[in-house]
Amino acid sequence: MTLAIVLVIAAALSLVLTLGITLSRSLQVSKEAGLAGQIQPIDVEAFRNLIDPAEDEYLRRRLPASEFRLVRRQRLLAMAAYVQVAGRNAAVLILMGQRVLHAGDAQTADAARRLVDNALLLRRNAAFALLRIYIAMAWPTSGLAATPVLHSYEQLNGSAMLLGRLQNPAAPVRIAAML
Amino acid sequence: MLQAHSPLWHYFWVAPNILFLILGVLLWRRGLAKQFPAFFAFTILSSLSQLAVYVADVTPTVTPQTFWRVDWANLLVAGVLKFAVIGEIFAHLLCSYSSIARLGRFLIRAVGVVMVLAATLVAAYAPKDGLFGIVSGAHLLEQTIYLIECGLFAFIFGLAYYFRLTFGRPVFGIALGLSISACFHLAVWAVIANGGLPNQTRYLLDFVGMATYHVCVLIWYYYLLVPQKAIVSVAIPLPENNLDVWNRELERLVHP
Repeated sequence: MTLAIVLVIAAALSLVLTLGITLSRSLQVSKEAGLAGQIQPIDVEAFRNLIDPAEDEYLRRRLPASEFRLVRRQRLLAMAAYVQVAGRNAAVLILMGQRVLHAGDAQTADAARRLVDNALLLRRNAAFALLRIYIAMAWPTSGLAATPVLHSYEQLNGSAMLLGRLQNPAAPVRIAAML
Repeated sequence: MLQAHSPLWHYFWVAPNILFLILGVLLWRRGLAKQFPAFFAFTILSSLSQLAVYVADVTPTVTPQTFWRVDWANLLVAGVLKFAVIGEIFAHLLCSYSSIARLGRFLIRAVGVVMVLAATLVAAYAPKDGLFGIVSGAHLLEQTIYLIECGLFAFIFGLAYYFRLTFGRPVFGIALGLSISACFHLAVWAVIANGGLPNQTRYLLDFVGMATYHVCVLIWYYYLLVPQKAIVSVAIPLPENNLDVWNRELERLVHP
């Protein structure tokens, strides 16, 4: 009977997950009008500084080991915050891009597909980067490369700009301005 | 009313399968069979095999052993078709996005392997219920199929949620119906296969399973045949910002 109870709980959890996601998606559709407003600006320069190995090397040479670990952890926390925002922005852009995917205009649809593809890549990289950041927090002296995230983010900028231009030629690239 | 071979019992066994068969014909007539070949095959073959089990059940000349053999064949056919439909749903969801298609394929294979191992382990630990092997084996096979199905659907819905991917309306309907069916049936078969329940309670669970399947068939009708409400496409309100400064900064970062 214990096995049956475990399986019934597993089935109930799976059902709750499915129905919860279904419900959240239908609520999301009603909120889509304000999607662009959900994009948070990111200071890419500060992020670049955080992931720069030369900066880490400089700090390692200048600071005692215990202080370096402390500083490194703080830098990793800040890095994680940036990556989380980048991932959330990518999620918003995926939703925006998917709305335009079936546009009648082939050029716009193509730009939307590229935007969605790049945003998906960024979201994937953000997940991997977060994982690496949290692992690095346990071993602050280890090396860490979050460069793929930054590269994807820059690619995403280009896609968003193109989509913005195609959708609204009079006011080009405003989405990109927020990234 | 809630007895085996009561009118409601006959209705719940026959009606959803006839409706499902008709859905298959309608899909074919509307050209959706080409778009969803696995689901089309599932509608036709699964409903026919279920009806064959029903005929075997109500025909007095069919021996219990023959009935369970027919049931086993039905389970195997339906199981294979369900996994084909899951593959089809996954392909529709991810394959147009090259950036995560490979990762998605790797992950679903990994989840599939884990679920098969978990289902095998659960089946191995199931208590012996004193029934004939062919009967308890059928119960365990049901439980195994639904457990794997549940895990795969939880993964697919979770992946779609994380990546904010939207299923198309028909794909979403197929996934939702199959997922609800898998969750309810897993619970039902887990209790039947492991609970050591008396026959009367088993019949009640049969009713739960059959009623759920009926609801799922109606979900498939709704999502596959009722047209989506026309969505007025509005231009995305692009946020105001200091674009020139930001782009200059980006240029400086990309090409220092």
